Amino acid sequence: MKRLGPDDDPDRLYTVTGGRSRSADDRTLDLVTLIVSECDPTPGMQSEHARILTMCRRPLAVVEVAAELRMPVSVVRILLSDLLDRGQVTARHPRTPATAQLPAADLLKEVLDALHRL
Amino acid sequence: MSARIPSRRQAERPPLGAALRALAATLVVTGGLCAWAVVLAPRSVRMELACAGGAGAVLLGAAVATAVFQARLARHYRSRIGDIKAEAERLADETLPALVVQLRDGASVDTALSRTATPTAGAHQRIMRTLAEEVGRGERMRAAAMSACANAAGRVQALATGMLADLREMEDRHGEEVLGDLMKLDHTTAQAGRLADSIAVLTGARSGRRWNKPIAMESILRGAMGRISAYRRIQLHNSSEAAIAGHAAEGIMHALAEIMDNATSFSPPLSPVHVYVEEAQAGVVVSVEDSGLVMSEAALQRAQQSVSAATLDLMSLSGTRLGLAVVGCLARKHGLNVSFRPSARGGTGVVVLIPQQLVTQPRPPAQRAEQPPIADTVVTAPRPSVPAPRQAPDAEPQPRAEARPAAEPEATPRSDAPAPLPRRTSPSGASKAPAAREPEPEPAAQPEPASQDRPAPPTEFGESGLPKRRRGQTLAAAPMGTGPAHGRAAVGGETARPTRSREESAARFRAFRKAVQGTPATDAADGTRTDAAPDTRTDGPPASPPAPSPARPEDETR
Repeated sequence: MKRLGPDDDPDRLYTVTGGRSRSADDRTLDLVTLIVSECDPTPGMQSEHARILTMCRRPLAVVEVAAELRMPVSVVRILLSDLLDRGQVTARHPRTPATAQLPAADLLKEVLDALHRL
Repeated sequence: MSARIPSRRQAERPPLGAALRALAATLVVTGGLCAWAVVLAPRSVRMELACAGGAGAVLLGAAVATAVFQARLARHYRSRIGDIKAEAERLADETLPALVVQLRDGASVDTALSRTATPTAGAHQRIMRTLAEEVGRGERMRAAAMSACANAAGRVQALATGMLADLREMEDRHGEEVLGDLMKLDHTTAQAGRLADSIAVLTGARSGRRWNKPIAMESILRGAMGRISAYRRIQLHNSSEAAIAGHAAEGIMHALAEIMDNATSFSPPLSPVHVYVEEAQAGVVVSVEDSGLVMSEAALQRAQQSVSAATLDLMSLSGTRLGLAVVGCLARKHGLNVSFRPSARGGTGVVVLIPQQLVTQPRPPAQRAEQPPIADTVVTAPRPSVPAPRQAPDAEPQPRAEARPAAEPEATPRSDAPAPLPRRTSPSGASKAPAAREPEPEPAAQPEPASQDRPAPPTEFGESGLPKRRRGQTLAAAPMGTGPAHGRAAVGGETARPTRSREESAARFRAFRKAVQGTPATDAADGTRTDAAPDTRTDGPPASPPAPSPARPEDETR
């Protein structure tokens, strides 16, 4: 069994999220969604929110926010969705190369087989 | 006692002598009278007179002697009774209390008996001994029960603490689907931990955890509310930047948890409980206001009494309500001032004043950041196992020492947006790199602050109040390199933050690379790295996947 180190924080995650274990809506915030803050932290704000707003002055991926806060991604998603609801941050989904234009799987498989046969 | 003995001997002397003396005196007097009467009487009645006179004299003498004897006896008994009464009173008022005090202070029965004055009466002695034995046994039982409870509480505390650490680690490791369940377990464990803490406090054991850094007020409040069942009803209103000194943080959290628990359990199940924090001249004031039942004047006084009593009275404990007694113990220990008053919200308000000497400024978050980098290199160096996994562990000490410095230049170039960043750059040789590399306006200022900052770490420790040894300090160059760097990152302000994860990942790459190559990287290499790194970053998505790992390793090493 692990011991809590003296350098840990006394916060438990459920107090950080107010008891929620998943965000209310199904907004898709995947690991690489970029978060940009839209305003500065105000005093009295939850410290995690303030930290997110500060660190996201430049776009930062969700996963990096999580690493920075040293919290699980799912918790960070909850925090971020709070901020999103209040319009304090915006989320930008990374551009994916238009998936529709990828060749069909069958074709790819044929190419692969042909390559194997070479 | 010894002074009493002669007086008793006197009193005990039987009054027979006095009676005999009285008898003799009476006989002499009456005998004389008789003889005189016989001499004066006519010869005819002389014989009868002599007989009657003799008999009368004897009777009178006997009567007088008896009377004297009885009178003396009565006086004797009266004084005896007085003595016994005084002795009994002394026993009750002085001897026994002194005896009990000694026994309560932990003296053994025999010691206590030998130290107190022994009463002369055997019965009193026996009473004393019986009493001493009973009180001594009770005292020993109390002590044994206390230490058994303290011991058990300590074990439960250790279990709970270990379990909390495990749960936290699991919360990091597992995904969203089990997070809710883990949180529930976490919450339950935290409450169990509080109960164990309560018992430990009441039995005089030490509290469950010690923090060796100041804990920010927000964390104190959240730590407190995390330990009660209805934590969702607590609403925090905190804009205080203050922190609580590490040694008192646990106790204060616990006291606040008990107060919040009281507030939530004595107010309607859906009503919120508001917690306000304000900084005052005398310290930090935390008020907990519920909108439940208004406590009567008497109840308020009782509550006030139980939190401000000078010592813990175990008799005041009832099976279910330990809270206020615990708050009282903690308040005494840490010098908290707890007062109850009717709340403006209609319920009860509890105001806790945390004295100024327990209030400090929070240590910059760098403190937190310091631990992970070391862990990172240690844990993850072997991890990128592609080309040279075997080498990595061997090369560890070295890469560690240099990986950190290398990380700094990384940070610098990227930091061009947030101004303070450059300042925290560069221990060791790397410090030259940014200056040389960056022709931009701000960099000019860089090398200088960097060099200033180099001695900074010690002062940074100082912010907690006292200089402290830190974990990993003895780990030679590596931690020294990282500590300052990260410390500065934090000192530099919030703006510095965004780059830290980049620093970390860069450091890991570097450690890995050096492990592979076996040569220390040059400044030129730094330059290329730093240039390359931003690119990968701005690509965003591709760069980020490795990022979660920084969070991992540190958790694992915890």
